[in-house]
Amino acid sequence: MTRTETPPGANAPRIRIFVVPATPLPVRSRPKEGILYAEGFPEAAIRRRARAGAADAFPSTDDYGQVLFGADCSVPADDHLDRLRLVPPVFVPQRLAQLVELAREPVYRDVRLETTIGGFRSAVPTYVSAFGSTEAASVALGLAAGRQAGRLGIPMVIGENVMPVNSYGRLEADAERSLLGRIRAYQSEALDGYGGVVVQQSTEDADAEVWNLVYSDPNVLPLLESGRLAFELKVGQGAKPGLGGMTLVGAEAAERLAGAYLLDPVFGGDRVLRSSSPGTFTEEILRQQIRLMRNNYPRARVWVKLPPARDVSAAAQVAWAAGADAVSVDGAEAGTGWAPQVFLRHVGLPLGECLLRIGRDRAPSDPSCLLVSGRMWEGARVAKCLALGANAAGLGRAALLAVDTDPDHGLVNLVECLALELQFLVSALGKYHVQALGPEDLWSPTPASSWATGIGSGPA
Amino acid sequence: MTETRIPETEARLPASPREHLTSPVTRSVLKIQHRMLAAARELLGARGFIELLPPVIGPVTDPGARGAKQVDVDYYGHRYKLMTSAILYKQAALTSFEKIFFIAPNVRLEPLETASTSRHLAEFHQIDIEMADASRDDAMATAEDLVRHVVRQVVAELPHEFETLGRDTSEFAELLSAPFGRRTHADAVADLRATGHDQSPDAELDWAGEAKLSAKASRPFFVTDYPKGSRGFYDRESKDQPGMLRNFDLIAAEGYGELCSGSEREQDYATIIARMRETAENPAKYAWYLQMLKDGVPPSAGFGLGLERFTRYVAGLDSVWQASAFPKVPGIASP
Repeated sequence: MTRTETPPGANAPRIRIFVVPATPLPVRSRPKEGILYAEGFPEAAIRRRARAGAADAFPSTDDYGQVLFGADCSVPADDHLDRLRLVPPVFVPQRLAQLVELAREPVYRDVRLETTIGGFRSAVPTYVSAFGSTEAASVALGLAAGRQAGRLGIPMVIGENVMPVNSYGRLEADAERSLLGRIRAYQSEALDGYGGVVVQQSTEDADAEVWNLVYSDPNVLPLLESGRLAFELKVGQGAKPGLGGMTLVGAEAAERLAGAYLLDPVFGGDRVLRSSSPGTFTEEILRQQIRLMRNNYPRARVWVKLPPARDVSAAAQVAWAAGADAVSVDGAEAGTGWAPQVFLRHVGLPLGECLLRIGRDRAPSDPSCLLVSGRMWEGARVAKCLALGANAAGLGRAALLAVDTDPDHGLVNLVECLALELQFLVSALGKYHVQALGPEDLWSPTPASSWATGIGSGPA
Repeated sequence: MTETRIPETEARLPASPREHLTSPVTRSVLKIQHRMLAAARELLGARGFIELLPPVIGPVTDPGARGAKQVDVDYYGHRYKLMTSAILYKQAALTSFEKIFFIAPNVRLEPLETASTSRHLAEFHQIDIEMADASRDDAMATAEDLVRHVVRQVVAELPHEFETLGRDTSEFAELLSAPFGRRTHADAVADLRATGHDQSPDAELDWAGEAKLSAKASRPFFVTDYPKGSRGFYDRESKDQPGMLRNFDLIAAEGYGELCSGSEREQDYATIIARMRETAENPAKYAWYLQMLKDGVPPSAGFGLGLERFTRYVAGLDSVWQASAFPKVPGIASP
């Protein structure tokens, strides 16, 4: 089937445009494993798809609930941040300043890690980011992460899926599973004066008024009064920029959710794909949503979560100008949630590129807060992000694995090790506060023109 | 559950409904309120307004209440809401009559900080007015006439009750004789900032700032042109000044604060959809309202005058709960 179109212009040549058939071509049945052989072609993948149909767009449903999704981390060559090295100098004027202050030679334990994250005081430049909508982020792990984040004095983000899936928890019998249960777990061990709780809301659960509910809840008053409550507007996420949240739900839950979400029976059987919409944003919509949040919740902080989109820097600028206390950017490497494989492999900017684009448009001493997430778990990647302009890094998959390893101490242990590595690295760079890191601390093997101004490059 | 900790309100809450209802103060206040309602109906009826009975529940309600939670109702398995205001239904009612009003009950689970403003109730009533083919000026003129008429009537008819309450009715001399003042939101913000009050230019006047401006006034005044991002999607945006809304608040004198909010309404379907997104609303749940806009509603303006707040001002009460027979102060579980 073809269609012929004449482009505008008097003497333009006639161009023939081939259009994909609207209906699939008839498929002839073949022997079970086929008889053809296609060398150099992803034959197995094609055969798997030919058997499974649309379900093959996703990782195996057998893994759902046990596997943390997100981009394949085994290909470091694709990662700008992994290619960078942190390079200490010989001459260290900031160490001299520290020497003068301490009246002794400074050592790595003198490095101060305390910082401000989206309006909250945090003991370490890290926070627990929202877990994706997968069963792997189970109630028990969520509560364990909350308790340990509280103990560590670092902020914690509660995902938009928690309340729709597990209720709010004020009147329900199994209150521990709920959003309020998560907040309580955090509060029960919170370090006085540190950290804070950040609650997400997406377009669909605006119907449930998560923020209004939290903001007017007497249980949350201690957080509000100590300035430790924030709301995060979720514009998008790392694992699937341009799509909304996705979960697999059973038939029973699907019936309950039918009014609010797209329910897609791509897998057949009892399991149904539940999709949120990505939400519609323009500059004006983003600006006004943030202003309305500030208007409606004057005692809460406002965070904005951006996907690794090509206009991530413009969106960050709009958010900060509208008064967001923090912008968090999820690199394409990020994500714990259920996502189509094609998105995990091919869609979204790597975090390093997001940082580069945002850094180009941002004044050097810009006080606005930039948070990042995506494959964070150890000190070097966090240090590189801070050197590229981030104020803190979020732990997603790493936090879940840590509390899965040890529900009582796993996250604390992970963060303590990360903190020690940061102290090693920052002091080696001749600096004594994490916020002092800058692009001069990095070296890139690729030419500087393709990287942020100020980063060293080329042969060392 | 954690014990609710509510800041002290200026006036002590009654120990029981009986104590409240049998108090001479409450009786005088409720008599004044009764007469206020009658006077409002007189004026509006004489001007051709039709009184309709307002809806109590619906699939959606007014999302424009800052930070307040709506009350969900399980309506045969559908999530319905108690009315936070009947604004959407007021626009609908204009397809039937040109000028309408409700005496409408509203429920808003207000943030707990409002328990100490002396002017918030979780359950309250509005004299809710909508006029087809009317401008903001028309709505403001009606609000001004209504307030003046009601005050004139009750002051003339109930001197004994004002005496019981110790309310000096000479405080209304200017209200009864001079036109209400007008200022823009930007001007109010500049005034507050000049006094060291950190008022955001992009947001509603905060409670303390509004009380400051109100305390300086000797008769009610209007504040106009609130910025987008401070109000619901139905307030029309100015064509000449993008980002500014064709709306107003009426602020009482003597520190009693806001009495009334109103605006010209947006009724263009595509504009409303964009404004819903700007206010983080999900258009899907407004299906009936959007269909109505597609089919066409008259351009209009209107306002909601808070009855208990108005009563508090007229009767000179410390707290708005004193103007309700059965008060619900935000966060406090009361009968």
